[in-house]
Amino acid sequence: MSDPLAAPTIEKPRNQWRDVWDQFTTHKGALVGMTVLGVLLAFVLLGPFLWHEETLTTTEKIMLKNKPPSARFPMGTDQLGRDFLKRMMQGGQVSIAVGLVAMMISIFLGTTVGVLAGFFRRLDGPLMRLTDLFLSLPLLPLLLVMVMLFRDALAGVLGPEFGTFMLIVTAIGITSWMQSARVVRGEVLALKEREFVLAARSIGTPPRRVILRHVLPNVISPVMVAATLNIAEAIITESALSFLGLGFPPDFPTWGRLLYDGVSYMQQYPERVMLPGLAISLTVLSVNYIGDGLRDALDPRIRGR
Amino acid sequence: MGHAMADGGAPKKLVEVRGLKMYFPIHAGLLRRKVGDVKAVDDVSFDIYEGETLGLVGESGCGKSTCGRAILRLYDPTAGEIRIGGAEIAHADAETLRKMRPAMQMVFQDPQASLNPRMTVAAIIGEPLDEHTTLTKAEKNARVYELMDQVGLNRTFANRYPHAFSGGQRQRIGIARALALNPKFIVCDEPIAALDVSIQAQVVNLLEELQDRLGLTYLFISHDLSMVRHIADRVAVMYLGRIAELGPRDGLFETPLHPYTEALLSAVPEADPDAETTRQRIILKGDVPSPANPPKGCNFCTRCPKVMDICKSVKPDLIEVQPGRHVACHLYNQTTTMTAGQMAASEAKKSIQQGEKR
Repeated sequence: MSDPLAAPTIEKPRNQWRDVWDQFTTHKGALVGMTVLGVLLAFVLLGPFLWHEETLTTTEKIMLKNKPPSARFPMGTDQLGRDFLKRMMQGGQVSIAVGLVAMMISIFLGTTVGVLAGFFRRLDGPLMRLTDLFLSLPLLPLLLVMVMLFRDALAGVLGPEFGTFMLIVTAIGITSWMQSARVVRGEVLALKEREFVLAARSIGTPPRRVILRHVLPNVISPVMVAATLNIAEAIITESALSFLGLGFPPDFPTWGRLLYDGVSYMQQYPERVMLPGLAISLTVLSVNYIGDGLRDALDPRIRGR
Repeated sequence: MGHAMADGGAPKKLVEVRGLKMYFPIHAGLLRRKVGDVKAVDDVSFDIYEGETLGLVGESGCGKSTCGRAILRLYDPTAGEIRIGGAEIAHADAETLRKMRPAMQMVFQDPQASLNPRMTVAAIIGEPLDEHTTLTKAEKNARVYELMDQVGLNRTFANRYPHAFSGGQRQRIGIARALALNPKFIVCDEPIAALDVSIQAQVVNLLEELQDRLGLTYLFISHDLSMVRHIADRVAVMYLGRIAELGPRDGLFETPLHPYTEALLSAVPEADPDAETTRQRIILKGDVPSPANPPKGCNFCTRCPKVMDICKSVKPDLIEVQPGRHVACHLYNQTTTMTAGQMAASEAKKSIQQGEKR
């Protein structure tokens, strides 16, 4: 029936991820986004090794406060005479880490709740009511209470900085998963009735593998969108918390913190608002484009066009 | 076709369905209380013999597909027994059922919807192998290629995604997936309804060829009567969740017994224009009653041209009126003149199909 000569020329089933990567690299926005994010990451991660801050005495610091950008201080100094470039680098590390980790927590929770609620009818009611409950909570006061209750306890166990970091990402993560849970549940409800899910059941695929193999790959688009938006939201929420004095300690820089500190000097030194603001916007924008490219690359119907 | 029947020896029953009921609850009101049932399949019994094709026909919404899906336990039936190769399906627990899955497979109606758009053809056809076998990667690939050959798909398509195929090719992928585990019994749920007429013939011929080669048994669900006449050995006609008539293909198509079968067959267009102009159509009046609230007596009594008084009060049982031919109609019932007491008794009695006393 088959041509025996044709057999050796047939490609082995290809690794899907190579196709995905090939398609991803054709998405210009995604490549630009990758580059920008790469530069930002290099700036915050490698920057501190290349740029050594002068150690100044308190008197010198007071003398050197509020300096404009110069060769000695490429981004100027702040109101306490600290090197702004150095603070941008340190702040970026924290902000990007908070954004990514909080996004992962929130997406993990949102997808899990959404898939379980959509796939198992019995869990739908309880889980969606839980989602409604979280949605109805006033988030900022809740965050304030959480930080107040747990900050010291966690700081005692994990150290003040890492403790606060864990607390903040967890707090942001568990208060921002609801939107993605709802979107995912809606998608799963529709997918569950599709015939390929029925076909998988008729093959005898157990529910957990039906979810992993058939449901999750098909809800990736809304999850991607939610994920990229969540990063932005997490960075902003963290700065709001820092601003209210409940995030990281005041001398611990984050982009959000720098932004809020700069607000009171906006008239005289606009660069102190613009630089962290620009950094946050660029991060969010580049992540958005990467998400966009990834979403397209993961969809075989779009791939190869 | 009809190998098993023609072999002389008593044909072996592969699938036995007894009193299958599939009700879907209706919830309404503020408290989502259960207010009734949609009786999609209501007390259906039949057998399928090894190697034969049983055609299941009926109009849209009469419960054909639900019946097919319930037999494979894609739905949990409300009541009844299903045996495939002697193993009880209807009440088996998840793990037992999973082990029995390889023997029974399904080909779906919409080849677009039944293939995961994010999996390659090789992955789709290989999924049953992943689930039920411990083949190595190379063995699995070999088996996938073999299956693709069997259904007439080019091996070089293995890395493509379903969206790159035509409807007929997609249906071939679906058939290859169903064949992967060497099943004995395949439910074909309107496998040709979504296809072009030219492709329909190809797919049906493929199904027949595979049946000859692999000795498969089909439950062929369709509303295309001419296709059923072509492929089926025996035919069951369903109306509103119940079997109206069940019999060998030729007898049923030539001399339909049930008034509904008559009406249904009279709707088949003739290829010959002369015959077509003189064709007598039986046009049924009214609509199919709601399966949530079927008529009290015979389900067909609201539209039957030969309706009698008894039809409106007593549900007819499916009885064997000629060898191999079963019909659920009071026209053929010897005990039509029953007293009220006997009526109640017959209501309570479960229908015993094919005159079997068990």
